[in-house]
Amino acid sequence: MTASHRPSEETLAAFAAGTLDEGLALVVAAHLEVSPESRRDLIEIEAVNGALLDMIEPEAMDADGETLLRGLPTRITERAAPPVAPHDAAGLKVLAPYELGRWQTVGRGVALRRVNVPGSDARVFMLRAQPGTRLPAHRHTGAEWTTIVAGAYQHEYGRYAAGDFDEADERHAHTPVVDAHEGCTCIVALTGNVRFEGFFGRLLQPLVRL
Amino acid sequence: MSGALAIHTDLSAPRFRGPHRRAGAALVDANALIQSIAQSSDRQAFVKLFDHFAPRVKALLIRQGTPPDLAEELAQETLLMVWRKAALFDPSRAGASTWIAAIARNLRIDAARREKRSRLPEVFDIIQGEEPEQPDQVLSGSERDSRVRAALTNLSPDQLRVVQLAFMEGLSHQDVAKRLSIPLGTVKSRLRLAMARLRGVLEDLR
Repeated sequence: MTASHRPSEETLAAFAAGTLDEGLALVVAAHLEVSPESRRDLIEIEAVNGALLDMIEPEAMDADGETLLRGLPTRITERAAPPVAPHDAAGLKVLAPYELGRWQTVGRGVALRRVNVPGSDARVFMLRAQPGTRLPAHRHTGAEWTTIVAGAYQHEYGRYAAGDFDEADERHAHTPVVDAHEGCTCIVALTGNVRFEGFFGRLLQPLVRL
Repeated sequence: MSGALAIHTDLSAPRFRGPHRRAGAALVDANALIQSIAQSSDRQAFVKLFDHFAPRVKALLIRQGTPPDLAEELAQETLLMVWRKAALFDPSRAGASTWIAAIARNLRIDAARREKRSRLPEVFDIIQGEEPEQPDQVLSGSERDSRVRAALTNLSPDQLRVVQLAFMEGLSHQDVAKRLSIPLGTVKSRLRLAMARLRGVLEDLR
């Protein structure tokens, strides 16, 4: 799958370093799962991290390898873990370690399903919208990161189809319109506050706990 | 054991290797050492890997803000993990340093989140298990690693510093600018140059 909207290098670097909030990282991971180009970028960034590790000024250890060895088992037992199966209906492997809520209808043509990400400051959910749905206009005080799992939507900043990654922050106000034929399923992480506008927006507001 | 034999053993034993190599010296046979652990539980190989990587993992963790005591503990755990997971090491995917840096990262994430266990290490494993872009391409992770390393060695100290903060410490470009008291534009242009150089040396591997 060739994604036309991919995470910035800055975002991938933070993902690789493990410094992103886990909810935001999960949305990046959902994109990485389906985008071979971004996985290649990640591999290169990890190679940079490996080289930087090699080049760093070492810090003396208290322990030494010989002593540590005495506690080691003579035989190495660890083998590859079995492949991960996609999480039931979600179709994403990266969701496998997480608990998912039920789909809840939140308005005409729109359903949400919470993704429980312990320790994350973001609210993470999957969103499913029927073809042609116009999502409520909204603004952010934090980040709204989205990976499109199936279908597509379009807003002021372009068309986002399956596999694409949409990184919006407080600078963006937008009104996504869901593809008229395919509908759209995506995974979203929100930090800070989102202010929805209009009647439909007020319906959504309690569900994203704002 | 006779004196002569003891001397002979001592000379060949890795623990009596000369003084530490200068910072930045790559352990050229690190891949082979890990494979040797996988094949024959090679304890000398472990000691060599420990001597090279444990002090570097510790330094890395300290740079990332881990307190020194915890960094020591996690550096030991990282090397123990190398022993346990040696059979999973695949140099066609990533070279030794890259693999070990990823193990250290996962342990750091775990340690920072003891209360509410982070699932990110599992997520990293899942992504890593996905097929590469072209399954049939001959893309050696070790080759990639050594080229990246050569390219980084050629960066100016200013460029390298920006790369370290943005990649190793995962800082946003804005935070890199603040940390170094330089304009955001300078951070971005230094990173762009550094990345262009990296892409250049990796061109035929892409």
